Amino acid sequence: MKSFIRRYQWQEVLIGLLVIAVFIGTQLSPYFLNYLNLANSSVTFVPTALMGLGLFPIVVLGEIDISLTSTLAVSAVLYARCWEAGMPVVEGALISLAVAVVMGVVNGVLVAVAKLPSMAVTLGTMGAYRGAAYLIAGDAGINGIEGGYASLGSTWVGYIPVPVLVFAIVAFVIWVIMAKTNYGQYCYAIGNQAPAVKSAGISITFVKIVAYVLGAVTAWLAGVVWAGQYASARGDNADGTIMLVLTIVVLGGVSIFGGSGLTSGVVLAVALLFVVQSAMSLANVPGTTQTLISGLILLIAIVLPNLSRLKELIVKKPTTK
Amino acid sequence: MLKSIVQRGKIALGVVCALAMLGSVGACSSSAPQGASGSSDNKKILVIPKYTGLKYFDVSGDGAKEEGKKLGLDVQYIGTQDATANAQIQTITNAIAQKPAAMVVSAIDENAVTPILKKAQSQGIKVVTYDADADSSARTVFVNQLSYELAARTMLDSALKNDPNGGLVAFISASPSATNHRKHVEWMKKLIDSDAKYSKLKYVDTVQYSQDDATKSEEISRNLMQAHPDLKFIISSSVPTTAAAANAIENAGKQGQVYAPGFSMPSSMSHFVEDGTIKAFCLWDPAQLGAVSVAVADQLVQGKITGKKGEKVKVDGIGEFTIGDKGELNVDKPLTFTKDNISQYKF
Repeated sequence: MKSFIRRYQWQEVLIGLLVIAVFIGTQLSPYFLNYLNLANSSVTFVPTALMGLGLFPIVVLGEIDISLTSTLAVSAVLYARCWEAGMPVVEGALISLAVAVVMGVVNGVLVAVAKLPSMAVTLGTMGAYRGAAYLIAGDAGINGIEGGYASLGSTWVGYIPVPVLVFAIVAFVIWVIMAKTNYGQYCYAIGNQAPAVKSAGISITFVKIVAYVLGAVTAWLAGVVWAGQYASARGDNADGTIMLVLTIVVLGGVSIFGGSGLTSGVVLAVALLFVVQSAMSLANVPGTTQTLISGLILLIAIVLPNLSRLKELIVKKPTTK
Repeated sequence: MLKSIVQRGKIALGVVCALAMLGSVGACSSSAPQGASGSSDNKKILVIPKYTGLKYFDVSGDGAKEEGKKLGLDVQYIGTQDATANAQIQTITNAIAQKPAAMVVSAIDENAVTPILKKAQSQGIKVVTYDADADSSARTVFVNQLSYELAARTMLDSALKNDPNGGLVAFISASPSATNHRKHVEWMKKLIDSDAKYSKLKYVDTVQYSQDDATKSEEISRNLMQAHPDLKFIISSSVPTTAAAANAIENAGKQGQVYAPGFSMPSSMSHFVEDGTIKAFCLWDPAQLGAVSVAVADQLVQGKITGKKGEKVKVDGIGEFTIGDKGELNVDKPLTFTKDNISQYKF
């Protein structure tokens, strides 16, 4: 019950932050409330946001996956190669999806079956998958992707960009999985190291492998969006964005120790980071200041939810004699 | 209940303080809103490097702003410290919304930025690339610091200045997808193979990749020196890598045996030049590059040039340049730094 209240509070804080950030955005730049610009720049945020959604169940399990951005690159370049070879878009999508699933399984098996630390495992696969992406893409990468292959990344439905719709659908699916299914409950239970997990006969191995596959699938989708959006794919796609993905999850109120966090928090974190970045970018805030602000926001995200714990440390009440 | 309300209040207070900081920081950097009308009286030119915070780019931004001041333009140097295509494309997207007359861009990913630059062009914004080109359909002019061949020659000449007897060369590029680095290495290999002037040089065929990362560059340099005991030169087009290679040479005690004659900044190399580890290395003046780029953008906005082959651009105090094939303009003013001249350069 107590933890429920704490989580609920965090959503409120994020909404409050979002309102304030929007207000500051309007003050910083006269162009901020231009709907078309907001929609256009939200598209650039979608691949990162999708990976944030995919990382969320993994972190709930108390694990981590920093290879997601490399999985994106492999998916994007493979998908682009299929376009180049003139395959129908469905085939290109399925081939790259199959490879992404294998990459997720490899991570999951190494973590859950071999019981290796997930940070070390995914640090290794991050490099290995990145290398594979470079091999598939070649030196110059693939350029000029168009037609059906670009549809998820660069088309609009009325006034809404398709990538944003993709994000909304994935967010809904993740919410259903985490909040409405037994699988979601198992994730929280395993993350909390609940004693009931073992006696209930839940296969921790299976739950973890599925989470890594789910993460890889979101990275694949992000890769498909990426290839369409930028009409190109290269071995270094999304290299260096893993910190932003982690920020989304942590700012979303997902405990890095596992066992807690809500989809709505992750979605609100995406919205908040997007608004703050757009506002700073539109106002031409210097790069160093942008880095500082982003760091501060992450710090707030880590410190605030643990405020009561910190307070206990500082004002330690004298124990009864 | 009461306690929880108090606690919520405290959290909200913390949040407000943090955001107030954001607000105040932003307030000093936001310029007064000006009615950018998109016509020829629009003086706004946005300079977008691959990422900010690297001295090389920041100096190019200073040169651009300086030139803007001379020409009576509103030149701003924008971007984030995030060295990712995503971050740069977000910056460009938000730059378009500000309706500048022109944009000057160093493309972090030549293909990925193409759609967004085309969008800028479709809205009447003139697009000039500098330092690193985008697809030629997405910009009018590419202001290239050095033609690829001249860049290759400059680095090889600088190698021979370190040791005229030549020797074995190993190449380190930023990444396989860094086009200019790739072209430089291709040219250097070609020149060593065919030009008598460089016949004393040999090279290791495999190119190493450093991602512009100093630690990684140092590790690669160390490994190269171990793998090839007769190695004489570590050549890189990457500014951070050349300095890291010099550091690796010093740490390995290989002064006088191995040299790093590639591209780097005088500020990060002066130490190695003073103690004799490096006798010569090279670059161009990034401030000059920024200035020429802004001048080109301004002339495009004014309609004085259209980016066709043979058109000339005169930049006061720097020189006159002619646009070549595919809208490429080569500044071609290489600098080689030695003990004698390094103190003259402030970047």
